[in-house]
Amino acid sequence: MQKDIIAFWGYPRKELINEYKTIYPNATWIDLDIDYNYPNLKLVPDNYCTIIKNIYNNAYYLKDRIIAILAPIGKDKCDSAFFVSEILKQDGFKVVQSIFEDKCPNINDLNLPISQSNLPLKEKINLITKNIYEQKDYSYLEKAKPQFGFWGVPPNDLSILDIFPNNTELFGWTRAVEAGYPGDFELEMYVDENLPTIFFTQAFCSKTQIARHLANKYNGLFIDIDTIPTNSIKAKIEAFLRLR
Amino acid sequence: MIKRYIDAGTTWTKILEIQDGKKEYKVISTAEFRKLNLDYEKSTGHSLDKIKNKYENEVVALSYGAKKYLEDDFIALDLGSRDIKYVKFQNKKFKDMDWNASCASATGATVEMLLKFYDVDIKNLKYTPEKYAVTCGIFGLEKIMDDVSKGLNPEIAISKFIHGLAYNAYNFTKNPEKICISGGFCENDCFIESLKQYCEVLPLGRFILVDGLLEMEN
Repeated sequence: MQKDIIAFWGYPRKELINEYKTIYPNATWIDLDIDYNYPNLKLVPDNYCTIIKNIYNNAYYLKDRIIAILAPIGKDKCDSAFFVSEILKQDGFKVVQSIFEDKCPNINDLNLPISQSNLPLKEKINLITKNIYEQKDYSYLEKAKPQFGFWGVPPNDLSILDIFPNNTELFGWTRAVEAGYPGDFELEMYVDENLPTIFFTQAFCSKTQIARHLANKYNGLFIDIDTIPTNSIKAKIEAFLRLR
Repeated sequence: MIKRYIDAGTTWTKILEIQDGKKEYKVISTAEFRKLNLDYEKSTGHSLDKIKNKYENEVVALSYGAKKYLEDDFIALDLGSRDIKYVKFQNKKFKDMDWNASCASATGATVEMLLKFYDVDIKNLKYTPEKYAVTCGIFGLEKIMDDVSKGLNPEIAISKFIHGLAYNAYNFTKNPEKICISGGFCENDCFIESLKQYCEVLPLGRFILVDGLLEMEN
């Protein structure tokens, strides 16, 4: 089978992305963080981050087609990603490790057209993650007056995002990605304290620690979800949005 | 014309009927409610379809129902058959909430099952200072069965389980000074007495959510 995929997770360094775009202009780019419903290979314990499970399941399912995996392993991703990258390397994948911990020089003066737009929340997150490799200009998007905040990473199951109104502003890692500084901790921790905010993490992710801390600090709602959100989780979010 | 407000829980459905300005409250089994196919104005509870413009979120209904009876600051806790949820208001404003349907699965339905299994009348349950750790309901059940097999009176074992539920409820609401409680556990003296060991308790009855639905409409 012909190899035609450049795979990645998180946000690899821009110069690495550009290098592979130049070398393989016709390659298909696949974000291994996303659940494509490929077979569950059960390579990690059941109680483990679903995103890491996705990376394994996707990588092995697409193994024959993958040219290389651009693999963030720094503070811009997580320790588990470092472990995955080493294991995949040992298993014959071409893995190019990336550390993207650059500090954002202007946290208070950022251009974040997608995070601050009036697009549906799901679309905002999809655009930001796709833009990691597409690198399109969205500065034409109109800025919305935010009513709520959503802090966190892209959820494994995006259906919870449908509950939020369009004027929900993005914070956390996803915002840091749009800003181009996925490993800037100060930027990841930033929220607008005047906005009622939901702090989301995947269950079994170490970011649950900061999500709960921020939810307590800013009187927000802490949510962690493993694979698919239960009706009660959705109802909890609905109640928070109605009552705040 | 009868106006109905429905709180359809897992086991029991609570109904507020208003006819000629007169209010009547009813509790029937949810299985029976399903057969009756009644018309209604507004509904809550997870046993009903979420019909647009008719269905209201349970925590929102709880907030509206409880607000009507309480002061500016309160915590209202609803302990149902299969879940536990609370909402906290401070200075008339929403402050905090939580809703747990997984680890709180050891709630009303479990107690009803235990009463049936050991043929115990709920009226015979009395507060007992000892409690089982029931953070996980399955482990709680295991302890009851172990102790009963060793000769413990099932009434005492179930009372210890209920004390464990009360302690969980207190921790779930982050250890407040006072809890206003809604739902079937208001009628469970053993539970109320157990909860009183930890904080002040104000039972609001089983119809707070249907009252909330009416309040929202007004």
